[in-house]
Amino acid sequence: MKLTEILSELRAKVVANAQKVDQLEFERAAASDLMSEVLAIAKPDAILITGLCTPQVIRTADVVGIPAVVIVRRENVPAETIEMAESSGIVLAVTRMSMFEACGRLYAKGIRPIWEV
Amino acid sequence: MEKVLDRVQSFFLDMPVVEVMNPNVISVHPDRTLRQVKEILRIKRISGVPVVDSERKVVGIVSIEDIIKALEGGYIDEKVQDHMTKKVVCLKVTDTLKDIIETFERYSYGRFPVVDENNRLVGIITKNDVMMALLARLGLVYLHDERRKEVLESPDYFERSLITGESLDKSGADFFFPIDYYDINLAGIGASKLRQFLLSRGVDPETARRVAIATYEAETNVVIHSGSTGAIYCFVKPDRIFVRVEDTGKGIDNVELAMKEGYSTAPDYVRELGFGAGMGFTNMKRCSDNLMVVSKVGAGVVVEMEFRRDREGNK
Repeated sequence: MKLTEILSELRAKVVANAQKVDQLEFERAAASDLMSEVLAIAKPDAILITGLCTPQVIRTADVVGIPAVVIVRRENVPAETIEMAESSGIVLAVTRMSMFEACGRLYAKGIRPIWEV
Repeated sequence: MEKVLDRVQSFFLDMPVVEVMNPNVISVHPDRTLRQVKEILRIKRISGVPVVDSERKVVGIVSIEDIIKALEGGYIDEKVQDHMTKKVVCLKVTDTLKDIIETFERYSYGRFPVVDENNRLVGIITKNDVMMALLARLGLVYLHDERRKEVLESPDYFERSLITGESLDKSGADFFFPIDYYDINLAGIGASKLRQFLLSRGVDPETARRVAIATYEAETNVVIHSGSTGAIYCFVKPDRIFVRVEDTGKGIDNVELAMKEGYSTAPDYVRELGFGAGMGFTNMKRCSDNLMVVSKVGAGVVVEMEFRRDREGNK
Protein backbone atom coordinates (compact mmCIF):
# COMPACT_ATOMS: atom_id res chain seq x y z
CA MET A 1 0.00 0.00 0.00
CA LYS A 2 1.37 3.40 -0.92
CA LEU A 3 2.30 5.65 1.97
CA THR A 4 0.15 8.42 0.49
CA GLU A 5 -2.88 6.10 0.74
CA ILE A 6 -1.97 5.04 4.26
CA LEU A 7 -1.70 8.65 5.37
CA SER A 8 -4.99 9.67 3.79
CA GLU A 9 -6.70 6.62 5.35
CA LEU A 10 -5.41 7.78 8.73
CA ARG A 11 -6.17 11.43 7.98
CA ALA A 12 -2.58 12.09 8.99
CA LYS A 13 -0.61 15.27 8.46
CA VAL A 14 3.03 14.93 7.40
CA VAL A 15 5.40 16.94 9.58
CA ALA A 16 8.80 15.75 8.35
CA ASN A 17 10.29 14.61 5.05
CA ALA A 18 7.11 15.18 3.03
CA GLN A 19 9.14 14.89 -0.17
CA LYS A 20 9.73 11.18 0.52
CA VAL A 21 6.08 10.21 0.94
CA ASP A 22 5.59 9.39 -2.73
CA GLN A 23 8.54 7.03 -2.78
CA LEU A 24 7.41 4.69 0.00
CA GLU A 25 5.15 1.66 0.15
CA PHE A 26 4.35 -0.66 3.03
CA GLU A 27 2.97 -4.15 3.39
CA ARG A 28 3.40 -4.38 7.14
CA ALA A 29 2.90 -2.21 10.20
CA ALA A 30 4.07 -2.31 13.80
CA ALA A 31 2.04 -0.59 16.52
CA SER A 32 3.47 -0.06 19.97
CA ASP A 33 4.14 2.44 22.71
CA LEU A 34 6.93 0.33 24.03
CA MET A 35 10.20 1.17 22.32
CA SER A 36 11.92 -1.96 23.60
CA GLU A 37 9.18 -3.95 21.94
CA VAL A 38 9.74 -2.13 18.68
CA LEU A 39 13.44 -2.93 18.98
CA ALA A 40 12.55 -6.55 19.66
CA ILE A 41 10.09 -7.29 16.88
CA ALA A 42 10.08 -4.57 14.25
CA LYS A 43 11.28 -5.17 10.73
CA PRO A 44 12.94 -2.54 8.55
CA ASP A 45 10.23 -2.64 5.91
CA ALA A 46 7.36 -1.77 8.27
CA ILE A 47 5.66 1.48 9.16
CA LEU A 48 5.54 2.30 12.87
CA ILE A 49 2.36 3.50 14.57
CA THR A 50 2.82 4.81 18.08
CA GLY A 51 1.30 7.06 20.71
CA LEU A 52 4.67 8.31 21.88
CA CYS A 53 6.03 11.53 20.43
CA THR A 54 9.46 11.86 22.01
CA PRO A 55 12.66 11.97 19.95
CA GLN A 56 13.25 8.46 21.24
CA VAL A 57 10.64 7.17 18.81
CA ILE A 58 12.64 8.49 15.87
CA ARG A 59 15.90 7.14 17.21
CA THR A 60 14.32 3.73 17.69
CA ALA A 61 12.94 3.80 14.15
CA ASP A 62 16.35 4.87 12.89
CA VAL A 63 18.17 2.04 14.64
CA VAL A 64 15.67 -0.54 13.40
CA GLY A 65 15.61 0.98 9.92
CA ILE A 66 11.94 1.97 9.87
CA PRO A 67 11.38 4.58 7.15
CA ALA A 68 8.07 6.10 8.34
CA VAL A 69 6.37 6.78 11.67
CA VAL A 70 2.78 7.81 12.38
CA ILE A 71 2.02 9.31 15.77
CA VAL A 72 -1.58 8.79 16.83
CA ARG A 73 -3.98 10.70 19.08
CA ARG A 74 -2.21 14.05 18.77
CA GLU A 75 -2.52 17.36 16.98
CA ASN A 76 1.13 18.30 17.12
CA VAL A 77 4.54 16.81 17.60
CA PRO A 78 7.35 18.40 19.66
CA ALA A 79 9.78 20.37 17.52
CA GLU A 80 12.78 18.30 18.61
CA THR A 81 11.09 15.12 17.42
CA ILE A 82 10.37 16.71 14.04
CA GLU A 83 13.94 17.96 13.78
CA MET A 84 15.30 14.52 14.51
CA ALA A 85 13.00 12.94 11.92
CA GLU A 86 14.17 15.50 9.35
CA SER A 87 17.82 14.79 10.02
CA SER A 88 17.38 11.00 10.06
CA GLY A 89 15.44 11.04 6.81
CA ILE A 90 12.39 9.42 8.40
CA VAL A 91 8.90 10.40 7.26
CA LEU A 92 6.91 11.57 10.28
CA ALA A 93 3.15 12.07 10.30
CA VAL A 94 0.60 12.81 13.01
CA THR A 95 -3.10 12.02 13.31
CA ARG A 96 -5.82 12.65 15.87
CA MET A 97 -7.10 9.14 15.31
CA SER A 98 -6.71 6.62 18.15
CA MET A 99 -4.27 3.76 17.92
CA PHE A 100 -7.14 1.27 17.74
CA GLU A 101 -8.89 2.99 14.88
CA ALA A 102 -5.68 3.64 12.97
CA CYS A 103 -4.67 -0.02 13.19
CA GLY A 104 -8.16 -1.25 12.39
CA ARG A 105 -8.41 0.88 9.27
CA LEU A 106 -5.02 -0.23 7.94
CA TYR A 107 -5.71 -3.87 8.72
CA ALA A 108 -9.00 -3.65 6.84
CA LYS A 109 -7.07 -2.25 3.88
CA GLY A 110 -4.78 -5.27 3.85
CA ILE A 111 -1.78 -4.07 5.83
CA ARG A 112 -0.32 -7.09 7.65
CA PRO A 113 1.22 -7.36 11.09
CA ILE A 114 5.00 -7.65 11.29
CA TRP A 115 4.55 -10.77 13.29
CA GLU A 116 1.84 -13.16 12.21
CA VAL A 117 0.67 -16.04 14.34
CA MET B 1 19.82 21.48 36.04
CA GLU B 2 16.33 20.69 37.23
CA LYS B 3 16.90 17.04 36.48
CA VAL B 4 20.10 17.00 38.49
CA LEU B 5 18.23 18.60 41.38
CA ASP B 6 15.51 15.99 41.06
CA ARG B 7 18.06 13.24 41.32
CA VAL B 8 19.80 14.76 44.31
CA GLN B 9 16.45 15.30 45.95
CA SER B 10 15.43 11.72 45.53
CA PHE B 11 18.76 10.66 46.92
CA PHE B 12 18.25 12.61 50.11
CA LEU B 13 14.58 13.39 50.50
CA ASP B 14 13.49 9.77 50.26
CA MET B 15 15.64 8.84 53.22
CA PRO B 16 13.42 6.99 55.70
CA VAL B 17 12.82 8.40 59.17
CA VAL B 18 14.52 5.41 60.77
CA GLU B 19 17.76 6.43 59.08
CA VAL B 20 17.54 9.91 60.57
CA MET B 21 16.07 9.40 64.05
CA ASN B 22 17.90 8.70 67.24
CA PRO B 23 16.47 5.37 68.47
CA ASN B 24 17.99 5.75 71.94
CA VAL B 25 15.27 8.10 73.04
CA ILE B 26 14.94 9.08 76.69
CA SER B 27 11.35 9.34 77.89
CA VAL B 28 9.53 9.85 81.21
CA HIS B 29 6.31 8.61 82.74
CA PRO B 30 3.48 11.09 83.49
CA ASP B 31 3.67 10.53 87.25
CA ARG B 32 7.27 11.83 87.53
CA THR B 33 7.84 15.33 88.87
CA LEU B 34 9.09 18.21 86.79
CA ARG B 35 12.11 18.39 89.11
CA GLN B 36 13.05 14.85 88.09
CA VAL B 37 12.72 15.84 84.43
CA LYS B 38 14.94 18.86 85.07
CA GLU B 39 17.65 16.50 86.40
CA ILE B 40 17.32 14.18 83.41
CA LEU B 41 17.66 17.11 81.01
CA ARG B 42 20.69 18.40 82.91
CA ILE B 43 22.50 15.05 83.19
CA LYS B 44 21.74 13.89 79.65
CA ARG B 45 22.33 17.36 78.17
CA ILE B 46 19.11 17.31 76.22
CA SER B 47 16.40 19.93 75.83
CA GLY B 48 13.20 17.93 76.06
CA VAL B 49 11.67 14.48 76.62
CA PRO B 50 8.55 12.72 75.36
CA VAL B 51 6.14 11.49 78.03
CA VAL B 52 4.91 7.90 77.58
CA ASP B 53 2.37 5.72 79.35
CA SER B 54 2.94 2.12 80.47
CA GLU B 55 2.52 0.89 76.87
CA ARG B 56 5.13 3.37 75.62
CA LYS B 57 2.43 5.35 73.87
CA VAL B 58 3.25 9.04 73.55
CA VAL B 59 0.92 11.10 75.75
CA GLY B 60 2.86 14.34 76.04
CA ILE B 61 6.16 16.17 75.83
CA VAL B 62 8.15 18.30 78.26
CA SER B 63 10.74 20.80 77.09
CA ILE B 64 13.29 22.92 78.90
CA GLU B 65 10.91 25.83 78.45
CA ASP B 66 8.28 24.03 80.55
CA ILE B 67 10.92 23.51 83.24
CA ILE B 68 11.85 27.21 83.30
CA LYS B 69 8.17 28.12 83.64
CA ALA B 70 7.80 25.61 86.46
CA LEU B 71 10.78 27.10 88.30
CA GLU B 72 9.42 30.61 87.89
CA GLY B 73 5.89 29.56 88.80
CA GLY B 74 7.03 27.54 91.81
CA TYR B 75 5.48 24.25 90.72
CA ILE B 76 8.66 22.32 89.92
CA ASP B 77 7.70 19.53 92.34
CA GLU B 78 4.36 18.92 90.68
CA LYS B 79 3.71 16.02 88.35
CA VAL B 80 4.61 15.96 84.66
CA GLN B 81 1.06 14.96 83.65
CA ASP B 82 -0.33 18.23 84.97
CA HIS B 83 2.01 20.51 83.04
CA MET B 84 3.21 18.65 79.97
CA THR B 85 2.22 19.69 76.45
CA LYS B 86 -0.47 17.17 75.61
CA LYS B 87 -0.83 17.93 71.94
CA VAL B 88 2.31 16.33 70.58
CA VAL B 89 3.31 16.49 66.94
CA CYS B 90 4.86 13.12 66.08
CA LEU B 91 6.55 11.71 63.01
CA LYS B 92 5.66 8.25 61.80
CA VAL B 93 8.16 5.49 61.04
CA THR B 94 6.93 5.50 57.45
CA ASP B 95 7.80 9.19 56.93
CA THR B 96 10.77 10.39 54.91
CA LEU B 97 13.29 13.18 55.29
CA LYS B 98 10.98 15.32 53.18
CA ASP B 99 8.23 14.94 55.80
CA ILE B 100 10.73 15.71 58.55
CA ILE B 101 11.83 18.93 56.91
CA GLU B 102 8.22 19.97 56.28
CA THR B 103 7.33 19.24 59.90
CA PHE B 104 10.23 21.34 61.15
CA GLU B 105 9.10 24.15 58.84
CA ARG B 106 5.48 23.98 59.94
CA TYR B 107 6.03 23.82 63.70
CA SER B 108 8.61 25.71 65.69
CA TYR B 109 9.39 22.81 68.01
CA GLY B 110 12.92 21.61 68.54
CA ARG B 111 12.19 17.90 68.53
CA PHE B 112 9.63 15.43 67.24
CA PRO B 113 9.05 11.96 68.70
CA VAL B 114 8.83 9.15 66.14
CA VAL B 115 6.03 6.64 66.69
CA ASP B 116 5.03 3.33 65.13
CA GLU B 117 1.57 2.52 63.81
CA ASN B 118 0.31 1.98 67.38
CA ASN B 119 1.54 5.40 68.49
CA ARG B 120 4.35 3.78 70.47
CA LEU B 121 7.57 5.74 70.86
CA VAL B 122 10.46 4.37 68.75
CA GLY B 123 12.79 7.36 68.42
CA ILE B 124 13.25 11.08 68.38
CA ILE B 125 14.43 13.61 65.81
CA THR B 126 16.12 16.95 66.41
CA LYS B 127 17.68 19.23 63.82
CA ASN B 128 21.03 17.84 64.90
CA ASP B 129 19.89 14.33 63.94
CA VAL B 130 18.89 15.60 60.50
CA MET B 131 22.29 17.18 60.03
CA MET B 132 24.15 14.06 61.15
CA ALA B 133 22.05 11.84 58.88
CA LEU B 134 22.76 14.07 55.89
CA LEU B 135 26.47 14.03 56.63
CA ALA B 136 26.40 10.25 56.90
CA ARG B 137 24.67 10.05 53.52
CA LEU B 138 27.22 12.38 51.97
CA GLY B 139 29.96 10.17 53.38
CA LEU B 140 28.37 7.24 51.62
CA VAL B 141 28.45 9.11 48.32
CA TYR B 142 32.11 9.83 48.88
CA LEU B 143 32.84 6.20 49.75
CA HIS B 144 31.04 5.10 46.59
CA ASP B 145 33.31 7.38 44.61
CA GLU B 146 36.44 6.06 46.28
CA ARG B 147 35.48 2.47 45.58
CA ARG B 148 34.78 3.34 42.00
CA LYS B 149 38.29 4.75 41.69
CA GLU B 150 39.73 1.56 43.09
CA VAL B 151 37.97 -0.56 40.51
CA LEU B 152 38.76 1.84 37.72
CA GLU B 153 42.42 1.47 38.58
CA SER B 154 42.25 -2.31 38.71
CA PRO B 155 43.38 -3.53 35.28
CA ASP B 156 41.50 -6.80 35.46
CA TYR B 157 38.06 -5.32 35.65
CA PHE B 158 38.04 -2.90 32.80
CA GLU B 159 40.94 -3.89 30.60
CA ARG B 160 40.22 -7.50 29.86
CA SER B 161 37.64 -8.94 27.51
CA LEU B 162 34.89 -10.81 29.29
CA ILE B 163 34.26 -13.04 26.31
CA THR B 164 37.75 -13.94 25.20
CA GLY B 165 39.70 -13.14 28.34
CA GLU B 166 42.26 -11.31 26.23
CA SER B 167 43.49 -7.95 27.35
CA LEU B 168 41.65 -5.28 25.50
CA ASP B 169 43.32 -2.46 23.67
CA LYS B 170 40.47 -0.03 23.73
CA SER B 171 42.51 2.68 22.07
CA GLY B 172 42.53 0.42 19.03
CA ALA B 173 38.75 0.30 18.81
CA ASP B 174 37.32 0.97 15.37
CA PHE B 175 34.47 2.96 16.88
CA PHE B 176 34.32 4.83 20.15
CA PHE B 177 31.45 6.80 21.61
CA PRO B 178 31.48 8.38 25.05
CA ILE B 179 28.13 8.19 26.83
CA ASP B 180 28.78 11.46 28.56
CA TYR B 181 25.23 12.70 29.05
CA TYR B 182 22.54 12.00 31.61
CA ASP B 183 19.51 13.00 29.59
CA ILE B 184 17.36 10.00 28.73
CA ASN B 185 16.08 11.90 25.71
CA LEU B 186 19.52 11.56 24.17
CA ALA B 187 19.81 7.82 24.76
CA GLY B 188 20.53 5.94 21.57
CA ILE B 189 22.72 8.54 19.89
CA GLY B 190 25.72 6.26 20.18
CA ALA B 191 23.87 3.24 18.79
CA SER B 192 22.55 5.31 15.92
CA LYS B 193 26.05 6.57 15.10
CA LEU B 194 27.44 3.05 15.39
CA ARG B 195 24.92 1.81 12.83
CA GLN B 196 25.93 4.55 10.40
CA PHE B 197 29.57 3.71 10.99
CA LEU B 198 29.06 -0.01 10.34
CA LEU B 199 27.12 0.69 7.15
CA SER B 200 29.90 2.99 5.98
CA ARG B 201 32.36 0.17 6.59
CA GLY B 202 30.39 -2.08 4.30
CA VAL B 203 28.86 -4.21 7.04
CA ASP B 204 25.70 -6.03 5.98
CA PRO B 205 22.64 -3.90 6.90
CA GLU B 206 21.03 -6.76 8.85
CA THR B 207 24.14 -7.24 10.97
CA ALA B 208 24.42 -3.49 11.48
CA ARG B 209 20.83 -3.49 12.62
CA ARG B 210 21.38 -6.26 15.15
CA VAL B 211 24.43 -4.49 16.52
CA ALA B 212 22.60 -1.16 16.71
CA ILE B 213 19.55 -2.58 18.50
CA ALA B 214 21.62 -4.39 21.12
CA THR B 215 23.87 -1.37 21.60
CA TYR B 216 20.84 0.91 21.90
CA GLU B 217 19.54 -1.18 24.80
CA ALA B 218 22.93 -1.22 26.49
CA GLU B 219 23.36 2.51 26.01
CA THR B 220 19.88 3.19 27.39
CA ASN B 221 20.72 1.10 30.45
CA VAL B 222 23.79 3.24 31.12
CA VAL B 223 21.73 6.42 30.93
CA ILE B 224 18.81 5.12 33.00
CA HIS B 225 20.52 3.04 35.64
CA SER B 226 24.21 3.77 36.04
CA GLY B 227 23.93 7.32 37.34
CA SER B 228 27.30 7.85 35.71
CA THR B 229 28.88 8.16 32.31
CA GLY B 230 30.04 5.32 30.11
CA ALA B 231 31.46 4.40 26.75
CA ILE B 232 30.77 2.29 23.68
CA TYR B 233 33.66 0.52 21.94
CA CYS B 234 33.28 -1.43 18.75
CA PHE B 235 35.83 -3.64 17.04
CA VAL B 236 35.10 -4.71 13.50
CA LYS B 237 36.73 -7.98 12.49
CA PRO B 238 36.30 -9.80 9.16
CA ASP B 239 34.35 -12.63 10.81
CA ARG B 240 32.71 -10.86 13.74
CA ILE B 241 31.82 -7.57 15.35
CA PHE B 242 32.57 -7.02 18.97
CA VAL B 243 30.86 -4.35 21.09
CA ARG B 244 31.66 -3.38 24.62
CA VAL B 245 29.49 -0.95 26.58
CA GLU B 246 30.75 -0.01 30.00
CA ASP B 247 29.97 2.43 32.75
CA THR B 248 31.41 3.27 36.12
CA GLY B 249 28.15 3.74 37.94
CA LYS B 250 26.01 2.04 40.54
CA GLY B 251 26.36 -1.46 39.19
CA ILE B 252 23.85 -4.29 39.30
CA ASP B 253 23.18 -6.09 42.54
CA ASN B 254 21.90 -9.27 40.96
CA VAL B 255 22.87 -9.69 37.31
CA GLU B 256 20.89 -12.91 36.95
CA LEU B 257 17.72 -11.21 38.08
CA ALA B 258 18.37 -8.15 35.89
CA MET B 259 18.70 -10.42 32.86
CA LYS B 260 15.24 -11.91 33.43
CA GLU B 261 12.67 -10.77 30.94
CA GLY B 262 10.17 -8.38 32.45
CA TYR B 263 12.29 -7.53 35.45
CA SER B 264 12.68 -3.78 35.70
CA THR B 265 13.77 -1.17 38.17
CA ALA B 266 13.24 1.75 35.82
CA PRO B 267 11.53 4.85 37.20
CA ASP B 268 8.22 6.08 35.77
CA TYR B 269 9.65 8.89 33.65
CA VAL B 270 11.66 6.28 31.78
CA ARG B 271 8.59 4.10 31.25
CA GLU B 272 6.76 7.09 29.83
CA LEU B 273 9.39 7.19 27.11
CA GLY B 274 8.65 3.62 26.13
CA PHE B 275 11.51 1.98 27.97
CA GLY B 276 11.89 0.19 31.26
CA ALA B 277 9.75 -2.82 30.42
CA GLY B 278 12.47 -5.24 31.39
CA MET B 279 13.26 -6.18 27.81
CA GLY B 280 16.72 -4.66 27.52
CA PHE B 281 18.90 -7.65 28.27
CA THR B 282 16.50 -9.95 26.44
CA ASN B 283 16.85 -7.82 23.33
CA MET B 284 20.63 -7.79 23.67
CA LYS B 285 20.68 -11.56 24.03
CA ARG B 286 18.41 -12.02 21.05
CA CYS B 287 20.40 -9.76 18.75
CA SER B 288 23.88 -10.93 19.66
CA ASP B 289 25.57 -14.31 19.30
CA ASN B 290 27.39 -14.02 22.58
CA LEU B 291 26.57 -11.80 25.54
CA MET B 292 28.50 -11.32 28.76
CA VAL B 293 27.54 -9.02 31.59
CA VAL B 294 29.72 -8.39 34.59
CA SER B 295 28.95 -5.99 37.38
CA LYS B 296 29.94 -5.08 40.87
CA VAL B 297 27.72 -2.92 43.01
CA GLY B 298 29.27 0.52 43.14
CA ALA B 299 31.75 -0.31 40.40
CA GLY B 300 29.79 -0.17 37.19
CA VAL B 301 28.65 -2.59 34.54
CA VAL B 302 30.47 -4.06 31.56
CA VAL B 303 28.43 -5.53 28.73
CA GLU B 304 30.19 -7.36 25.94
CA MET B 305 28.50 -8.63 22.83
CA GLU B 306 29.77 -10.58 19.89
CA PHE B 307 28.02 -10.61 16.53
CA ARG B 308 29.08 -13.21 14.02
CA ARG B 309 29.24 -12.12 10.41
CA ASP B 310 29.22 -15.52 8.71
CA ARG B 311 25.52 -15.24 7.98
CA GLU B 312 25.99 -12.02 6.06
CA GLY B 313 24.92 -12.01 2.48
CA ASN B 314 22.92 -15.25 2.61
CA LYS B 315 19.67 -14.03 4.05
